[in-house]
Amino acid sequence: MTEFEPKIIAFVCNWCTYAGADLTGTSRIKYAQNVKIIRFPCTGRIDFMLLLKSFGEGADGIIVSGCHPNDCHYTSGNFHARRRWIMFRGLLDMLGIDVRRIQYSWVSAAEGSKWADIVNSTVNTIRELGPYTEYEKVAGYLEKEANQ
Amino acid sequence: MSKIGVFICHCGENISATVDVARVAEAAGQIEGVAFSTDYKYMCSDPGQTMIKQAIKEKGLTGVVVGSCSPRMHEPTFRKACQEAGLNPFMCEMANLREHCSWVHDKSEATTQKAIDLVRTLVEKVKLNKPLYSIKVPVTKTALVIGGGIAGIQASLDIANAGHQVILVERDPSIGGHMSQLSETFPTLDCSQCILTPRMVEVAQHPNIKLMTYAELEKLEGSIGSFKATIRKKAKSIDEDLCNGCGTCTTKCPTKKIPSEFNTGLGMRTAIYVPFPQAVPNKPVIDKENCSYYQKGKCKVCEKVCPTGAIRFDQEDELVELEVGAVVIATGFDIMQPSGFPEYGYGKYKDVITGLQFERLASASGPTLGEIRRPSDGKIPEKIVFVACAGSRDPAKGIPYCSKICCMYTAKHAMLYQHKVHHGKSYIFYMDIRAAGKNYEEFVRRAIVEDEVNYIRGRVSKIYEENGKLIVKGVDTLSSAKPVEIEADMVVLASAAVANPGAEALAQKMHVSYDSYNFFSEAHPKLKPVETNTAGIFLAGACQAPKDIPETVSQASGAASKVIILFSKDELSRDPLIAVVNRSPAPVFSTCVGCFMCASACPYQAIGEELITNRQGKVIKKVAKVNPGLCQGCGTCVAFCRSKSIDIQGYSNEQMCAEVIALLNHE
Amino acid sequence: MSELVKKAAALLESKLVQVVIGYGKGTGNRTRAIFATQVAECENLIFDSRCVQNLAVYLTKLEIKKLGKPAIVAPVPVLRSILQLAVENQIAESDLVILGITPESELIDFESFASIETFLSTHKIEIEEKYTKTIDAIKAMPVAERFAYWVKELEPCFKCYACRGACPLCYCTRCTVDDNQPQWISVASHPLGNLEWHIMRAMHLAGRCTDCEACYNACPMGIPIHLLTKSMLQDVADNFGSYGPSLDKQNTLSSFKPDDKESFIR
Repeated sequence: MTEFEPKIIAFVCNWCTYAGADLTGTSRIKYAQNVKIIRFPCTGRIDFMLLLKSFGEGADGIIVSGCHPNDCHYTSGNFHARRRWIMFRGLLDMLGIDVRRIQYSWVSAAEGSKWADIVNSTVNTIRELGPYTEYEKVAGYLEKEANQ
Repeated sequence: MSKIGVFICHCGENISATVDVARVAEAAGQIEGVAFSTDYKYMCSDPGQTMIKQAIKEKGLTGVVVGSCSPRMHEPTFRKACQEAGLNPFMCEMANLREHCSWVHDKSEATTQKAIDLVRTLVEKVKLNKPLYSIKVPVTKTALVIGGGIAGIQASLDIANAGHQVILVERDPSIGGHMSQLSETFPTLDCSQCILTPRMVEVAQHPNIKLMTYAELEKLEGSIGSFKATIRKKAKSIDEDLCNGCGTCTTKCPTKKIPSEFNTGLGMRTAIYVPFPQAVPNKPVIDKENCSYYQKGKCKVCEKVCPTGAIRFDQEDELVELEVGAVVIATGFDIMQPSGFPEYGYGKYKDVITGLQFERLASASGPTLGEIRRPSDGKIPEKIVFVACAGSRDPAKGIPYCSKICCMYTAKHAMLYQHKVHHGKSYIFYMDIRAAGKNYEEFVRRAIVEDEVNYIRGRVSKIYEENGKLIVKGVDTLSSAKPVEIEADMVVLASAAVANPGAEALAQKMHVSYDSYNFFSEAHPKLKPVETNTAGIFLAGACQAPKDIPETVSQASGAASKVIILFSKDELSRDPLIAVVNRSPAPVFSTCVGCFMCASACPYQAIGEELITNRQGKVIKKVAKVNPGLCQGCGTCVAFCRSKSIDIQGYSNEQMCAEVIALLNHE
Repeated sequence: MSELVKKAAALLESKLVQVVIGYGKGTGNRTRAIFATQVAECENLIFDSRCVQNLAVYLTKLEIKKLGKPAIVAPVPVLRSILQLAVENQIAESDLVILGITPESELIDFESFASIETFLSTHKIEIEEKYTKTIDAIKAMPVAERFAYWVKELEPCFKCYACRGACPLCYCTRCTVDDNQPQWISVASHPLGNLEWHIMRAMHLAGRCTDCEACYNACPMGIPIHLLTKSMLQDVADNFGSYGPSLDKQNTLSSFKPDDKESFIR
């Protein structure tokens, strides 16, 4: 029985967190392989439907990260995103979708080590929580596998 | 039908050492829609780029994915190569297999699989890319330089001499900055004012430079090539056209005991004042907070004695709007007040001063006319102790970085003291001596050998006063950690160089990145030291990091050259990754319902209204419309739209959804 | 409500409006919306405690707009929706005549949207205790149990979208669920499809919902979807202050405060 390797998708903004993750690479700081990044121009662009889609496609965890408040390259994208996350998180919590599976963070272009930190701690959290089988069942994946 | 070409780079061994690049290329070749897939040692090199161009032509590729370094590194390189081969540059994307994969993971199956996933994700995105064409923006050939120290002065002169207009904005009543406060500069011991003031006058007289002193940036809008800056000209209470700089007002002002900022608190000034005799412009301002008239309604002596009637008590702050094409930030640095180190006694004992205060004492036009005298009793000190690294290189209480200039100016201070007080004795407590510049090491040697300055390698643990003397307790680590105690008459602390107050607020106004010490961030630490991440805004001088005068002047000229390059074109090409509201044929016309939630979210007010009318002119519906000249492409509006009626090129709904699905599904 | 009938008839007679949207007799003991275009049809207008449908939904429907300028019978829930539609630029003051009805069943006129807001400031949205108790009880369940609870509650949903049809704030020309480029939401009546649809509906109503319960009333399976929207209303109040439509305050989600709570963000 192989150890459970979480599948985690990260939605990051181009100007801060993506650059911060680049810095992690330039500094050769190692972190877990489970997190794969998708680039957005700004956290303001991140539609909550994409987070839902991620769980529906089998993600066990999600990281959403952008510029610190007041530092957004587009002034206010991250402020709007923050409000959206507050509402979305409340709704997910009400529905019993485990909010611990989504890690929100502010990582600036200079915070290479913080990004590695976020990745590693999120991977550990998801590993402890285990694969998101409840959602997978709802999404019909376990049925699919049983039928194959 | 898509025909994507995938090119996986080894990046020498940077990627191939941990990722099985051949396998990645093979796996990519299996993806539906990929017509060509290969790997190569250096994709960004000439032969690598030629390979891409050839594949585009021979295979008729409709899109390109390069799996290599970060797109922040080489996206322009590969897009240009595609353009040269006849493929629209926006059909080219990059998968980050280096910074986000090979450099942060060990060699393993999971690492290679991750690389395959990342490449697949970008392939699915490129399949949905559309050809886009750059937006042309006109360039306003006027530069705004913020900060009138040596950095701002140098940048302004360079840009102005290239034939462009410059507006130089300075917060203080005069330009000159910290360099005007120095007595002599290392390593030549040139008189600072003597080399600076000709430049200051050149700025004031230059036909292409407009000088605004006692003014600050209020707001900055727009983008590269077409910024709109609002400058607040603080009320000087003087009509500058009438004032002839005679200075009578400053001699007659009855309020004389205001600590002078220019003299770092060691001397006094009046309420109506010129900061220093060589000030440019040499016209006074009234300090409203200390002026008898503004505070109590009495006096007005200056108005009575002014020969040209230039005093204007009713003058208000003025807001001026400027259209500029580029901005240079040259706001300089500040010296940390070391009162946070109680062991040094700064603020408690009058004779413990900072390096900048020593400069004022040594300065011929300073509060002591160039004589080194103790602030407490005015006597000439027989023994001075200099403490280097007073606050710098201190992760515990101070700042962890090195302030760069202190080793050199401490040596200079000791030398100046020895030249002025021949029988005096000077001691420098140091950790290391950083004298890396041209002639710097020789300068420090001179201090030790010729001027007999005593260098003690060790730190100071305590300074306290006893019988009018300052007892300095330290250690000499080069003599088997022997404790050292010196009875000094004066102590000079080489306090840390920190960011200017207001730097954070200024950075936020201009959307420029800054680090945790409030120094402005350069776009790349090695290769882009004068640019910021905000296009059109450049950096010069110590506002970016502590540095000495020759480096400041170099960086200022560097920033100026970037501005001149920008102004060498009449038009700029802007990235066309902007938002668009959908349009469709009658009777729908657009799925937009005109709720304008997008408009309320847009930070640039780039979304307006459009009335869709029928042929008879009757309004059918009111929908949103994006102004392509203002949209910066953040996509916040797209995430807001409930009906998905607005979308953004390059990060469209379809593309992001395809990326998510591709990333999470192994084929 | 003969006063109402008289007023409606007068409006139609004078051609100030071309249609009166109001409540009429429905099947069994229920009421339904009626659209009187002739003076005689005004006799069918009624108003009593059975009239729970939210008539404001018809203000954005093309088929009704084609009939001409409407007068609309507006008890408090309908007034709230009218104000919210005004805030969202869907109706202008000159587009309609409002036949307001107070909770005490008295007729009241409104000349402007601002006067509606003033009136509503004394009739604020209040989530009843029975609902807050239920919501609290659900939130007290452990996460996995909560999820199972909702999957079961949503099982009867067969994606009829009556909730969407009845909500006055669901006026999008093309609903996201109908978009298949890309297919955001699984349209099948399937645990995932049901969950995604109701999450999207609740999120799109965040900060806009006026608690009229039209969605719950319309659901043929009696699924308590209004619990989701009410819990969102509570969240808005807890995190951002008050809720409710307002002409001066910006929509909750399209504005922000620099110090919005962010304890969950690292």
